[in-house]
Amino acid sequence: MANDASGAPLEMREVFGNTLVELGRRYPQMVVLDADLNTSSKALYFKQAFPARFIQVGIAEQNLFGVAAGLALTGFVPFPSTFASFASRRALDQIAISICYPGLNVKIPGSYVGIPTSHAGASHNCIEDIAVMRALPNLRVADPGDNADLAAVMRAAMETEGPVYFRVTRATLPDLFGADHVFQWGKGHLVRPGRDVTLYGTGMMTGFCLQAAELLAAEGIGAEVVHLGSIKPLDAELVAESAARTGCAVTAENATIVGGLGSAVAEALAERCPVPLRRIGVRDRWVSSGGIAELLAHHQMRPEDIAEAARQAIRQKRGS
Amino acid sequence: MRLAPDKLAELEEMAYQIRRLCVEMITYARWGHIGGSFSMAETLAALYFQAMRVDPARPHWPERDRLVLSKAHGSPAVYAALALRGYYPAERLYSYCELGGLEGHTDLTCTPGIESSGGPLGMGLSIAAGMALGLRYQENPRARVYCLMGDGELGEGNIWEAAMFASHYHLDNLIGIVDYNKVQAKGFVWDLMQIEPLADKWRAFGWDVLEADGHDLEALVEALHRARWVMPRGKPLALIAHTVKGKGVEMAEFNYHWHTQAPEPEAADQMLRELARAYGRPEEGYSRLPAESGKEAFYRGE
Repeated sequence: MANDASGAPLEMREVFGNTLVELGRRYPQMVVLDADLNTSSKALYFKQAFPARFIQVGIAEQNLFGVAAGLALTGFVPFPSTFASFASRRALDQIAISICYPGLNVKIPGSYVGIPTSHAGASHNCIEDIAVMRALPNLRVADPGDNADLAAVMRAAMETEGPVYFRVTRATLPDLFGADHVFQWGKGHLVRPGRDVTLYGTGMMTGFCLQAAELLAAEGIGAEVVHLGSIKPLDAELVAESAARTGCAVTAENATIVGGLGSAVAEALAERCPVPLRRIGVRDRWVSSGGIAELLAHHQMRPEDIAEAARQAIRQKRGS
Repeated sequence: MRLAPDKLAELEEMAYQIRRLCVEMITYARWGHIGGSFSMAETLAALYFQAMRVDPARPHWPERDRLVLSKAHGSPAVYAALALRGYYPAERLYSYCELGGLEGHTDLTCTPGIESSGGPLGMGLSIAAGMALGLRYQENPRARVYCLMGDGELGEGNIWEAAMFASHYHLDNLIGIVDYNKVQAKGFVWDLMQIEPLADKWRAFGWDVLEADGHDLEALVEALHRARWVMPRGKPLALIAHTVKGKGVEMAEFNYHWHTQAPEPEAADQMLRELARAYGRPEEGYSRLPAESGKEAFYRGE
C-alpha cells in the first residue's frame, strides 16, 4: 500500500488516494468532495472506486466546505479535498464557522504543502496552513512524516469524531515507520534517542532531522529526534521531557515558522521547560517558484541547516 | 391551497408573538437586529406553523424539514419561533447573548431546532445544499431544506457558487427564501450594491422562482405550498419574499438605523404598544429591566 512493486516508497499523494479507497470500503458514510483537482490530489482513486460517493463541486472552494458541512449535518463523513492554499486562505471562514465552530465531522486534507510544490510559486506553495489551522478551536491538525504515518492519520481521522486537518506533501518521503505504525492524537514519536540536543520535526522535515542527526553524530553530537505528526493536540509532555534531557532544541517544519510547529513547541517549552531553541522553516517570506533542492537551500531548510541550528543551540546552552 | 380562518388567525398570532418576543429579548440583551427579525416574522410563522414538518419533541428526527438561517443575525426571530413552536420555554429567550444562553448568531450545538452555525454572511446556502444532497443520498424524499437568506448577503460570491451547485445537482428538495426587505446595514440595497434583476438572476442560475408579498400570510402559505408540492421538477426553487425591514413598528420600517440597535426600555415599551394596537391585542408594555450587560461594570472599572 505504501510502497511500489520494487519496495520503494510511493509518492505521498498516491498513498492519500489509496487510503481514501481503503477507508471508503470500510465506511459507507464517507464521501469525497473535489474542487477540480482530483487528478493532482489523487482523490481520483476514490472517484474511480466509488463514483456515487464522489461529489464534484467545480472551482468553488467556499461552496466545497459549506456543502461538506451540510453533508456532515446529515450524517455523512465528508473529505472536502483541495490544495492547502485554497483551504487555508479562500475557504477559511467556511472551515472556521460552518465546520469547526459546531465541531462537525469533516476531514480536511490539505494537498500540495510547502516547498515540494515548488514550480507553482508563492500562491500554491502553502506555508501558513499549520499556523492558521492551529488557531481554530475544535480542529485537530496533523502533518504526517511518511506514508505509514499518513495512512495512520487518515484512519485516526475517521475514527475521531470532529473536524480534522491533515497535510499531504507532494513528495516521495523515506520510510520512517513500519506498517504496524500507530498514530494517536497528542502523541509524538521518539524516533532516535540522543543526549545533546532534541530535533523536533513534523511532516517531511522529520526525515531531514534524522539526516541532520547523522551529520551531527559524525561530530560526536548525540541528537534526539522527535516526530510530532500530531501538531494539535501537541504532545507537550514528550516535548518537555526530551528538552529536559538534552537541554536545547531545534524545530523543523515544511511551513512558515510564524505560528507553526516551531511556535507550538516554543509555547510548550516556554511554559514547561525553557531551553535554547532554533526554528527551521520558511522565515516569514513567500516561497516563489524554483526547484525543490534550490528552494530548500534558499530557505535554509536542508539537513545541514538543521545540523547548524543544532550546533548553535548547543553553543547557547553551554554559554559559549 | 386555502387557509382555514382559524389557521390564518393562528399564523397571525404567531407573527405578532415573534415580533413581540424579539423586542423583549433584544431589549433585555441590549443587542440584536430588530429590522431583519421583524421582516421575517410572517415567513417564519408560515414555515414553523404551517409548511415545515418538524417535531419539537424530536429535534433530530431524520425525516424532519430543516431551516438554515443564512442571515444568522436574524436569530432572535428564529429563537422566538422555536420557543413558540415548543422547542424550549419562552423564558429561555431572555438568555439571548448571555454566556451559556442563546448565541448572538446561531450555534447549532446549543439550541434545539437550530440546524446550522453562522454569522458571516453568504454561507448558509452551501450548507443547505449539502443537506439537500445528503437527504437525496439517504433516499429521504419527503424532507425539505429551507434556506432563509437576506438580500444584502446576496452580494457574497459564496451564495452564487451554491446556487450553481444546487441546480447542477437538481436539488428540488431545496427551497431558498430571500427576505427581500430592501435595506441592509448601512442603507438601501440598491444603493450599496444593486442585486436586481433578482428573479432573473436565480432563473439564470437554473432555479425556479416564485415571488410573494412576504407579509401576506395567505400569499406566503400558497407560495410555500407550490414550492413544495407543485413546482419541484429537478430544479431548486427561490422564493423571493418582498418584505419591509422593521415591519410592524413605524420608527423601524425601512430604516437602516434599526438594522442593529437595541431599543431602550422606553422605546421598547412604545414598540410593544404599537404592535398590540396594530394586531388589535390588549396593550402591554415592556416590563423588564434590561440585564446588566457587563459593559457598565466594565467601564466602572469593576
